[in-house]
Amino acid sequence: MTRTLAALGGHSAHFVKTALICSTLLAGAATSFDQAEAQEINWRQFEGSSIVWAYDIHPYADAVAAQLPEFENLTGIKVTPELYPDDAYWNKLTIQLSTKSASWDVVGTGIQPAWDLAPGQLLEPLDRYLNNPKLTSASYDYKDFFPALRDALTWQVNGGQIEAGGGQVWAIPHGFENIQLFYRKDILDKHGIKVPTTPPEMSAACEKLKSADPAITPLGVRGVRFWSSIHTAAISIAKSYGVHDFVVKDGKLETGLDSPESVAFHQDYVEMIKKCAAQSFANDNWYQVVDGINSGRTAMAIDSNMFGFWNDVAGKPASGKIAFAPPLRAPNGKNFESNIWIWSLAMNAASQKKGAAWLFIQWATSKQVELKGAVAGKLVNSPRASTWSDKVWLDYATKPEFTNFVDTFKIVQDRAALAFTPRAGFAEAMNAWAVAMQKMVNGADVKATLTDLASEIRSSM
Amino acid sequence: MDLQGIDAIVTLQSSVDQLSSSKNEQVQKAEQNALDWWSLAAIAPAIIILLGFLFLFSYGVFQSLTDLKLGRPVVRFIGFTNYEVAIKTQDFWNSVRATMAYACSAVLAEAFFGLALAKLFASGVFLARLMRPVILLPLVLPPMSVALMWTTMMDPQIGILNYLLSLVGIGRFAWISDASTAMFSLLLIDIWTYTPFFALIIFAGLQGINDEVREAARVNGARGWATFLHIELPLIAPYILIAAVFRLIESLNQFDIIFGTTQGGPGDSTSVLSVRAYITAFQNLAFGRGAALMVVNWMIVLLGTFAMVRLWRLVRQRVS
Repeated sequence: MTRTLAALGGHSAHFVKTALICSTLLAGAATSFDQAEAQEINWRQFEGSSIVWAYDIHPYADAVAAQLPEFENLTGIKVTPELYPDDAYWNKLTIQLSTKSASWDVVGTGIQPAWDLAPGQLLEPLDRYLNNPKLTSASYDYKDFFPALRDALTWQVNGGQIEAGGGQVWAIPHGFENIQLFYRKDILDKHGIKVPTTPPEMSAACEKLKSADPAITPLGVRGVRFWSSIHTAAISIAKSYGVHDFVVKDGKLETGLDSPESVAFHQDYVEMIKKCAAQSFANDNWYQVVDGINSGRTAMAIDSNMFGFWNDVAGKPASGKIAFAPPLRAPNGKNFESNIWIWSLAMNAASQKKGAAWLFIQWATSKQVELKGAVAGKLVNSPRASTWSDKVWLDYATKPEFTNFVDTFKIVQDRAALAFTPRAGFAEAMNAWAVAMQKMVNGADVKATLTDLASEIRSSM
Repeated sequence: MDLQGIDAIVTLQSSVDQLSSSKNEQVQKAEQNALDWWSLAAIAPAIIILLGFLFLFSYGVFQSLTDLKLGRPVVRFIGFTNYEVAIKTQDFWNSVRATMAYACSAVLAEAFFGLALAKLFASGVFLARLMRPVILLPLVLPPMSVALMWTTMMDPQIGILNYLLSLVGIGRFAWISDASTAMFSLLLIDIWTYTPFFALIIFAGLQGINDEVREAARVNGARGWATFLHIELPLIAPYILIAAVFRLIESLNQFDIIFGTTQGGPGDSTSVLSVRAYITAFQNLAFGRGAALMVVNWMIVLLGTFAMVRLWRLVRQRVS
């Protein structure tokens, strides 16, 4: 009886807590909505339209999709989400946009793919929508997005190349990621292993782990022959070794991938992969990295920080078992570096429903959608400063099961920056780097492979 | 007798005949012309479709002669530069080798196993009758699904194939994750998928052989293996070759299974021309260079097909 009462008491407390959170959220949403109303844009000006929003199969997309009925009620615009697996999505995106197909109106992209898409006039510049008071509510508050993210998505196209540092806005961020090391506390504690900070330390830790439990894969990293493998662990660690994808030499852009720093990085990185990564490295994408850490088959991972967060959520098998740390740095380096990836919404230049598409982009990246998505545990890294100062989000993200997620985010975010040089031709060079990485991991000579890689990149510049 | 008058009549008659025959010819010609127009109208859709295909193909060839790249403001005609640049790289020749190795190995292995299966089906034993419908299952699966299914099964950590190997004491095999075993693993998938195609066609060939031929061979003292080698095999050789022509064309163009499993990797170990062309065009966004690789692939397919068809004709003549 006592136990039943205690359980009831527990349920009541949980109910009151949930009710409080919900009412705060509802109040917040209502306030934001009232603000939007007060700014007098006519949300129903494209009523009856129907648009298609294409995106990667991703929890960030789930967060927006879950709130779509609210958008449809607000605007009378029907949104059809078309979600594709990661690899398929990027290839399909290129084909859809380069063939000037109008079947997609809003697309999900990162900055790097946008560098290749913008010069071909395949993306619609968004300034004229952002600056139009009839189309954009003043409460939208574009300046609330972190400045680094806004800057990264603003550039001009000159002679088919990207010129950063001002210009037009090509996409609006709605979620971003910084690269971190995250690990299974339970596994490292069990085997008495300290969290590694450099590739050689990681190699040593992996050897210790393997000898303690051969069934465990010590480290999960992406290895597919696509630029997505480079933009996570590889570029973040490489940057701390002083590697640059491109450098300016004698006023001319030149690849930095055959530099002595690059050789040093690759020697350590390849050694680390051989000792730490799964045998399936060449086929591993983020799905495998997340699955490994979630199931406990993998002890550590270097990838986007929210992969750890999503598996720490209460009710997941790994809940509370995953902790966070900054990414690895060079053994003689002072600081770690972390690349950022910005999930953004862009408009297809060939879209026939640009007004409706803009209303959707504006709504999907609004304060209320960002906050609601974050507190739902999906849109974990909101690009809006207001989310990160919101008590509801911070209370949620600092729950014990998320261990040191918020603290590590803040530490890493201070040094997180776009690690690539803005330029059209990003995909070709970085795909070649991913292929070269596979060759080196398979035993090809590091220096010779990097020389070949550099000459391949030069020939296509 | 007024011969002159007769001559005149004959001449007149002949003129009338000529006139009438020329009239008939004209009518016939007119009829033929009218008939040609109808024929032309009837085949017009086919011609238009054919011209459409030719146009697309020609456009692809034209693209390969340009520096077309996504985002390039001006597209220039650069002649054979894309081809020259490609053939100077080691990666291109690796791809040519991979394409040939993949296609030839797959076709040979499938022909061999297909023949064995067809013989089994023809034997009419209970197991064979049971297997006949089941064996065709791989053929009706979409190649991309086949690729995804095998990728999961070949995962070195969690794949069922390594689990099965572990039951007989064999350690972890890297399958598609190691450059030295990736091509072999892809061939395994291709053989699993397309051997039934060979089996089906060769089985049809075996069914077509008149029993009297076998009986005659038996009367002449030929037994099992000798009958197969000297009687059946030559008779079904055209069937094997026609299946080989179809499979060679498909194998030289194979994309789905390779892209769906290894994407051409690890490194460049399985980077056949069709995959390299796709990556060059749609991932690296260099459409001109991608088109050049596709044209090279097309030429290889064309040469391979001509050679196989020629061989098929020779064998058919011999059998006849």
